[in-house]
Amino acid sequence: MTQEVDPITLQVIGGALHSIAEQMGNVLYRMSYSSIIRESQDLGAGLFDRDYNTLCESDSTPMHIGSLPGYLRGIEKTVPLDAWKPGDCVIHNHPYYGASHSPDIGIVMPVFFEGELVGFSANTAHHVDIGAATPGLVIDIPDVYAEGMLLNGLKLFNEGVRNEPLWKYIRDNTRVPSLVMGDLEAQIAAAELGVQRFQQLMATYGKETVLQATRQLMDYTEDMLRREIEKIPDGDYVAEGFLDDDGRNRGVHLPLKVTVKVRGDAVEVDLTGSSAQVPTAFNVPFDGSTKVACYFAFRALLLDTYTHEEYIPQNEGSFRPVKVTAPLGSIFNPIMPAAAEARFSQIQRVVDLIIKALAPVIPEKSTAGNAAVLSFAAYSGVRPSGDYWVFLEVNEAAMGGRPGSDGPDTVEELMRNTRNNPLEDLGMHLPLICDRYEVRDDAPPGAGKFRGGAGVVKSQRYLTPGFMTHESDRNEDAPWGIFGGKDGHCSKVELRNDTTGKLEYQPAKFSGLRTEVGDVVTYYSPTGGGFGDPLERDPQKVLDDVLDGFITVDHARADYGVVLAEVDDGYGFALDREATRALRAQQRGA
Amino acid sequence: MIRVGVDVGGTFTDIVLERSGADSAVVVTKVPSTPHDQSEGVVAGILKVCSLAGVAPGEIDAVFHGTTVATNMVIERAGAKVGMITTRGFRDILHMARHKRPHNFSLQFDLPWQSKPLVRRRDRLVVTERIMPPDGSVAVPLDEDEVKAAAELFAKRGMDAVIVAFLFSFLNDAHEQRAKEIVTSILPDAFVCCSSEVVNTIREYERFSSTAMNAFIGPRTSAYLRNLEGRLRANGIDAMVRIMQSNGGISTIENSSALPIGLLLSGPAGGVIGGRWTGAHCGRDNVITIDIGGTSADISVIEGGELRIKNPRDTEVAGLPVLVPMIDIDAIGAGGGSIAYLDPGGAFRVGPRSAGAVPGPACYGKGGTEPTVTDAQVVLGRMDPEHFLGGDLSIDASLSAKAIEDAIAKPLGMTVEAAALGILKIVNNHMALAINANSVAKGIDPRQFTLMGFGGAGPLHSVSLAEAIHAKDVIAPLHPGITAATGLLVTDLQYEYTQSTVIVLDGASDEAFARVNAVRDELIARANRQLDADGVPAGQRRFRQIAECRYVGQGFELRAEIPDGPLTPASAAAVIDDFFNAHRQVYGHAFRDQSTEMVTLRIVATVAVDTLTLPKLDKGGRTDPEDAVMYRRRTVFDDGRALDTPRYARGKLLADDRVEGPALIIQHNSTTIVPPGYVATVLDYGDMLISRKKG
Repeated sequence: MTQEVDPITLQVIGGALHSIAEQMGNVLYRMSYSSIIRESQDLGAGLFDRDYNTLCESDSTPMHIGSLPGYLRGIEKTVPLDAWKPGDCVIHNHPYYGASHSPDIGIVMPVFFEGELVGFSANTAHHVDIGAATPGLVIDIPDVYAEGMLLNGLKLFNEGVRNEPLWKYIRDNTRVPSLVMGDLEAQIAAAELGVQRFQQLMATYGKETVLQATRQLMDYTEDMLRREIEKIPDGDYVAEGFLDDDGRNRGVHLPLKVTVKVRGDAVEVDLTGSSAQVPTAFNVPFDGSTKVACYFAFRALLLDTYTHEEYIPQNEGSFRPVKVTAPLGSIFNPIMPAAAEARFSQIQRVVDLIIKALAPVIPEKSTAGNAAVLSFAAYSGVRPSGDYWVFLEVNEAAMGGRPGSDGPDTVEELMRNTRNNPLEDLGMHLPLICDRYEVRDDAPPGAGKFRGGAGVVKSQRYLTPGFMTHESDRNEDAPWGIFGGKDGHCSKVELRNDTTGKLEYQPAKFSGLRTEVGDVVTYYSPTGGGFGDPLERDPQKVLDDVLDGFITVDHARADYGVVLAEVDDGYGFALDREATRALRAQQRGA
Repeated sequence: MIRVGVDVGGTFTDIVLERSGADSAVVVTKVPSTPHDQSEGVVAGILKVCSLAGVAPGEIDAVFHGTTVATNMVIERAGAKVGMITTRGFRDILHMARHKRPHNFSLQFDLPWQSKPLVRRRDRLVVTERIMPPDGSVAVPLDEDEVKAAAELFAKRGMDAVIVAFLFSFLNDAHEQRAKEIVTSILPDAFVCCSSEVVNTIREYERFSSTAMNAFIGPRTSAYLRNLEGRLRANGIDAMVRIMQSNGGISTIENSSALPIGLLLSGPAGGVIGGRWTGAHCGRDNVITIDIGGTSADISVIEGGELRIKNPRDTEVAGLPVLVPMIDIDAIGAGGGSIAYLDPGGAFRVGPRSAGAVPGPACYGKGGTEPTVTDAQVVLGRMDPEHFLGGDLSIDASLSAKAIEDAIAKPLGMTVEAAALGILKIVNNHMALAINANSVAKGIDPRQFTLMGFGGAGPLHSVSLAEAIHAKDVIAPLHPGITAATGLLVTDLQYEYTQSTVIVLDGASDEAFARVNAVRDELIARANRQLDADGVPAGQRRFRQIAECRYVGQGFELRAEIPDGPLTPASAAAVIDDFFNAHRQVYGHAFRDQSTEMVTLRIVATVAVDTLTLPKLDKGGRTDPEDAVMYRRRTVFDDGRALDTPRYARGKLLADDRVEGPALIIQHNSTTIVPPGYVATVLDYGDMLISRKKG
């Protein structure tokens, strides 16, 4: 048996692993070309052992964290462990072989030390276009083959030599080769860095010490999570909601049901009762996405990095206490060849429903209903040269109110955490101009002792004809209030032509829409639900929200029982404390 | 010529006075800092150093000052009431930031730009105007009546400062300038700045936020600087006053008052420059500096004698972006006061929580019961109680041992010494990883670098850190505790001017070159106007031209040098080569088949100032000189060996003296460890070079 690594060396190796993953992520997003990677950081990178356990991962976007082991297990079906050679590099994106979804291309390199395969250096990144039915994103497509290139465990490098026909095949099958090939170069550079650093670490401390340390670090993380699960009373906790539609059959809601089964220091998330798989791309790959969402939910709830002082290593240990069940043939575990590219809104809702289910037993760690959605917009067109331009934009939304603070406004919530694309950078390079990017002011955040977050509004105008696909949800099911808080508001999508003035509302998801010069697409995100009784909100905060324009004077009175008096101080309003006390007493009585 | 450097720290204000000429001398001292008004401590310190040096205050020619005033204002959010006038439709750029949250795995996190905004939403007013990319044409003219109405409202609200920040102003600043004129006419006493003046670069959030921060700290920083000047004058000090900037240069009070955002690293910058200067006179131009304080350590890398400037995409203060050039200094939460503990899962942790100055380490006996890094040093016999802070502070070593025993040793079943060694190993590992992130991760090989630890605690850690990062050797500066103040006396006057100028360098047209050169001429003209105002003779001015470049389509720029003179096809080729090398160094890859795009042109104007001259030590040439030995005592080294170790008085060592490890070399406020197997050699000016013993 290998000897236990002492606690001091353990900290030293743990710190080094964390630093390697961070450096891999940095190289990847700084070197890359597409805005979805370089600005939004829609990527993940890390090191893995021979059993495909995650040893460390970059702190980039939660969706990618925890998805790579699925890629590695999927690749094994094509490249078994004994088929790896030093200098190999495999490319993979098959959603039925572990990939998160097909645009998230994985790059994997083996790590050899003293002639022996000891693990893997790998990363994933979201690519702008892989030659799908519509540019950038897809919704209403018949099957997985319409998602574009399926790369199933292919060697992009054989012992250091690039597979030129494959490289050419990829270049020839994306609408934007200049972005995709540059981004792949960045992924390869990041993976190479991980290989070198992992080898150096073993050269410094010895292979056995490093591997033993990784096992202890995984056990440590697992133990930290189990301790927190154990504090939750055993039981089955259920929450339900619904999705707008599948992007083709309008008006048909898709049910969502989450049962959280807490048993001692382990937990199972059972998605039985949720919708059957759908005939569009609105399904969720099970290994690469459904499971990852459940892992995320428990880390964020129970090992919140803002309230926990200690850094807890990001590794396989955080996945082990969580079991995920979804019936085969359901929206969360579809059967090939169902398409499964547009999966983000659904997994956001899984996380949010887990929070809702557990809120009654861990209110101090929960939130009111979050926007729990993704507005993923693909703007595209063909330049006069004949080259395509494709721009993927993630619009933020809002969080629900929280036990000690308001829900953050206009922010990336839950599984996503990308950066927005600077409007000025966009304007310099694309035939698209942003006309408005502000806090949403037509619908207030859900009222509460701690209010929900305010939403966002963003308008993009086409300067040349083009196409648009929008992947989102939640035009119909508003984020809930909790513990007496009020619901937030649904999203809406507006399409207006600047010249003709023609205005129409779109569903939350649509694909392949043809757009004309002057078409302005405006997305209004959901606003978060309120936490606790609005009548208990500090009246000063209500006044601040009025002065800051997050809510109106009428809303302050109706939902918060706060009465304001007009004053001439340049701001317009002050608290009428007496009238507020009276009104609140009356509203409580009512 | 008499020059004084004053560096204000959290606890002490350090002062260095240099008299050059026939009776040349260098005198150093320190006084307690006065956080309520740093200028009190500054003036008290200057008067004290004058009396020590036998100099009248009126004889001082120049005062060089590093200050944390502006930085503290940001951290404490104790700045001005700022109003913002911005483009209609874009009121909330400051509220959304880059919409990314600072924590991935958190539901309860805080967004400082929303909970503690530099400009509250109610004070962000929109006006009608529209500049269009990519050429800066005016799509909608500025509505001047709306600007006037906004300014009048701000006057009524009693704003201290107003910023004007419009989209695409980096392409065309006419609207911003006109709006500023209107605001200034209505609010003549307010601090007013527009975004294209503060940082004229692409990316609206970072530009607007930098501008807001400049205004937030503007009124109080300029008040501080004028107050300082007044206090100096009132005490008979009519010297020229210069302020340390984040970019490693010094600037005037006027310029620092208008652009206080350039002062946010004014404090730590002096240390790095002091490190560079120390390295230079020790014959080392590749130096990694680490300034170790009570709660944090500042790390920087000097390569080929050049300061490294942080990539503008990474420059932030208190979680907010600051798009001005800063020395690449990485601060980590590890220092003498870092607390060691076992977390609920049993993991052995050190920091980032710190015992600070109060209660301080357990050995202070001021109520601190948790063990710190300093307690570990005491337990291992590396800091002797009688020389603690030069004997100014009495400490109790038994309290250190008890704290370590209770918190670490007993629960882990270790000896107190093993636990103390563990504390140092973990904290040194934090520092070593941070050094690696600043060196190896940026393509720098530490094996070619000298490690220089300073701050009072620096030389306690230097050799261990050098081993961990495989540095070539170690330098312990003459006065580790006042390296930062020394740095102030060896800094150049420096101004920087930038303009976003986007062109593809490969095969650029004559028209494109002409456009860049017009910008270049304008930036150089602005620099010359400033230097004229400073009275700098033309012959002393130096200009560096930097192109911030990327491959077409990338989002991050790297710096490349433009050869002297206007940009030509030949010099563009040199820029492309320099960018290629920078890209390969930073990322490990670079491409010859990709086009290089210049995004921003930067002109750096510098004027060399007089440098500091130290007296040389007398030659000793001795090995382990007995007359410098004070006493011997047991000391535990990193390998766990406890050895009877001599203590040398640093003041008694002469040039070329060699001290072989194991040894401790003690001076006021600092102890240098020379472990077994190492030898310290005293250099000409009193710095010590520590390297592995040969053979």
